[in-house]
This record gives sequence, structure tokens and C-alpha cells, in this order.
Amino acid sequence: MAPKVINVPKTDPGAYNPNRPAGTLLRSQGLHMREALIKHVHELTTLLNIEVKSLKTEADVSAYVHKATALLHTHAGKPAKK
Amino acid sequence: MSAGLDNLKHIVVLMMENRSFDHMLGALKQKYPKINGLTGNESNPDTNEAMVRVQPNAQFQSQLDPDPDHHFPGVDLQIFGGAPPGPGRVANMQGFVKDYFSQTKDVNRSHNIMYYFAPDKLPVLTTLATEFAVFNGWFSSIPGPTICNRAFAHYGTSFGQVGMDIFYILDTSIASIYERMIQAGHTAKIYYYDQPSSTMEIVNLLKNQPQIFATFDQFIGDCSGNTLPEYSFIEPCYNDHPGPDGGQILASDQHPDHNVREGERFIGDVYNAIRTNPTLWESTALLVVYDEHGGIYDHVAPPACTPDGYTASADATGTGEPFEFDRLGIRVPAVLISPWIPRGTVVTGTEDPVNAQIFEHASIPGTVTNFFLKGDAKRTVREQQAKTFLGLLTDQMRPDDDCVVFNNLQ
Repeated sequence: MAPKVINVPKTDPGAYNPNRPAGTLLRSQGLHMREALIKHVHELTTLLNIEVKSLKTEADVSAYVHKATALLHTHAGKPAKK
Repeated sequence: MSAGLDNLKHIVVLMMENRSFDHMLGALKQKYPKINGLTGNESNPDTNEAMVRVQPNAQFQSQLDPDPDHHFPGVDLQIFGGAPPGPGRVANMQGFVKDYFSQTKDVNRSHNIMYYFAPDKLPVLTTLATEFAVFNGWFSSIPGPTICNRAFAHYGTSFGQVGMDIFYILDTSIASIYERMIQAGHTAKIYYYDQPSSTMEIVNLLKNQPQIFATFDQFIGDCSGNTLPEYSFIEPCYNDHPGPDGGQILASDQHPDHNVREGERFIGDVYNAIRTNPTLWESTALLVVYDEHGGIYDHVAPPACTPDGYTASADATGTGEPFEFDRLGIRVPAVLISPWIPRGTVVTGTEDPVNAQIFEHASIPGTVTNFFLKGDAKRTVREQQAKTFLGLLTDQMRPDDDCVVFNNLQ
């Protein structure tokens, strides 16, 4: 007998909103990233000049976090696909 | 030792964001009375002193915006109903609506904090909770926000932190669970979703030990390729962002106001990656747990706990009183999954004081250290005394057709 399969409905297509204002957690993540970047200060002058408090949306924070992580984490694989 | 433990080679922890036990699983009590959820009569006063009952009206998105308060002073209000700090006050769980009003400035909207999900809206989490083991008494480690609570999952302590501030670990004698494992010749990884989402473990782990990190794609590959480390910690996607091919990547962490269904699908993905590899399935225990309650109502008062030797100052707590780390945070959903766990296992919590088994996030490094390292690591007293969870694995492995599979519809 085959195992029971439970269907999980698709997420509402309107759920995607990269312009949603970033909350406390994501803003903190940005600040923590900035702190960690100090280790790479010579290479990262441009990134460090970005004022984290000016990052308004999830897309803003995401772009910042992406660049920061790429510099901090050279072991990462290819980006996720969906 | 049980046959389940004899076969165990991998422990995987998926830590989601900011939802309380009652909000996600409380409705299960109606069908499964042993689950310490909601009767439907639980209530909180609003700012007009009208009593607001819990209601099964939770939606996937848009009800909890602004993000409910879950910083230390706000959680103190939620737990103690506004009684000022001091001896003798009672944790009555009566301050949730009033605290949410302080953000919404709208009485009707403040009632949303009492909403919970009907089980059919959460087919993944509620199925896992009823098909495997659900914990009635798993609490966040601190009545506060994300960063300090997640620190307990990695170190068994937050080193005195109760907030979101950047902190450096000065007591280097307490290593993270990943360092402990690797230094002892074992394997461990943190899998974050992708680079635009990244990790929340930045200043002390990502900065100094990038080799312990990998992406969720790599987790999927490690599952299918039988290269999964002995211990894995998975972080969901924390933000909505464009995908590499112009697609849309949705946050899957379930942090308000991110879509809860997307988180359901993510939990299903993690489960399926293990479940569909027979070798991995019989040798892996998967824990799905939430870091903290996110300011959302739960009816169970957090119990006292063993202090871990740190004190947060009155300035740090924001309540006017220091905190000795002698009380846990608010209860969160936690489910342990393995074919060696009987269907319908309910782990007793504070509803049965004689048989209560209380868990918190220090239980995670505590369990991993006890199992893989035989307890051989320097740890806080808090972690040493934290309850471990592998005793739920039995001698009997359930047949393949007795364990569900999820199908994420496209």
C-alpha cells in the first residue's frame, strides 16, 4: 500500500511583496551584517557606506544582505531556484 | 537503548519564526484532548476591559501587521497582564490584547492577537503533530525576541542577552554546538535558504566560521546524495526577494506578516527531503520548532527554569528590573518526527505537573551533545539540565506506508 499523500495548496500569488516595509528582525539582520563586514573593511567600503537605517523594504534589505553574505560566505552554492 | 536510537545517525532541526503554540496547534485539542490547546473559552481583556475570546479566524497573512511586540517589556506585559515587576505577581497571560493595542492603536484590530488557525488551514504542521510527537511543554528560552532565543539553540545560552543587539561572546569556553561537533571529529552544518535571505547567526558564526554554512539547495542535495551531516540546523527564507531567474522567492519563515502557507510548504519540503530517501528516513530525527511566540496569544504560563549564571540588567530588560534567566519564554510549537515514534505521541507539559516534561531551546544542543558527544563538552548549567528529546524514539519502526508524504501543489 502506498503512503498517504497530503496535498498542500499553492500559496496565494498575491503574497509576494518585496516592497513590504522591513520589520525589526530584518533590520537587525542588516545591522549584524554590517558589524560582521568590518572584518573586510578594505574591500567593503562601498557596502559600509550604505546607511542601513535607510533600507525601507524587504527588497532593500535583501539586496544588502545578499551582497554582504556573498562576501562573507564564499562557500555558498548557486542561488536557490523556485 | 532503543532500536530507534541504535539506528539514529542524523538530527535535523528546522527553526521557524514567531508563532505561539495555541495560534498554530491550539485547535487540535478539540479532536485530540491530550494536546494542551484551546477550549475556546480562553480570553484577554482589551483596553476597554471587554473580554476578548480566542477565535479560529487566523489567516495566512495581513492580520498581524504591524508585527506584534515580542521584546522583553512587551512580553512581560503579555505574561503578567501589566502587574509591575516584583515579588508575588502571577503569570496570568492576560496582557496580549492590551500590548497589541499599543501598536495597532485600534481596539478591534488588537483582538487579532487572539486568533488561532483552524487545523485544516495548516495541513503540514497539524499532520506532523498528530502523526508523530507533539510537545505540550516546549517553551522559548527567553521571554523576548529572536536573536537571544536562537542563541540558546546554538550555544545553550544567550550569554546574558535578552534582545536583538549585536553581542560578542566573551566566554569562549562555551562553544557552539557546531564547533563542539567538528572539534570532536563529527559533522554539522547550518543551512540557510539562499544568500539574499542568509542567516541570523552572523557576528559570531558566519563571520568567523563560514565553513559551517551551506544553502538549502545543498541540504536537498545532501539528503538525496546521502551526505547529510550528523547534525543539521535549517533556517527558512526570511524575506521576499527576486529569484535568480526572475522568479519570486517568498519568505517561508512564517514571521508576521509573511505568508504562513508558504512556511507550511517549506516544512513539507524539509520533511519530504528526508522522508523520500529510505536510508535517511530510518536514521534521522527531524525537529520542527519555532524560535519564539512573536507576541501572539498562548494560554500556558511559562514555568521557572534553572538560571544559567547570567543576569540581564534593568536597562537591558527595559522593565526596571534585572532578569536572572530564571523563567522561560512563551510556549511555541514543537514536533519531533521519526518513523520510530508512534502516531499520536503527546509529550506532557505543565498541564500535568507530576509528569511534566519541559523543553526549551537549550534542549537542542543538550540533546545533540548527549547523543553524539556523550555529554563531553563544557556547557552551561542551563543546558546540562535541559530535558533531551531522543527518548521518544522506540523499538518499533513504522512501515513505509504508515508515514505520510506531502505534495506541494504547483
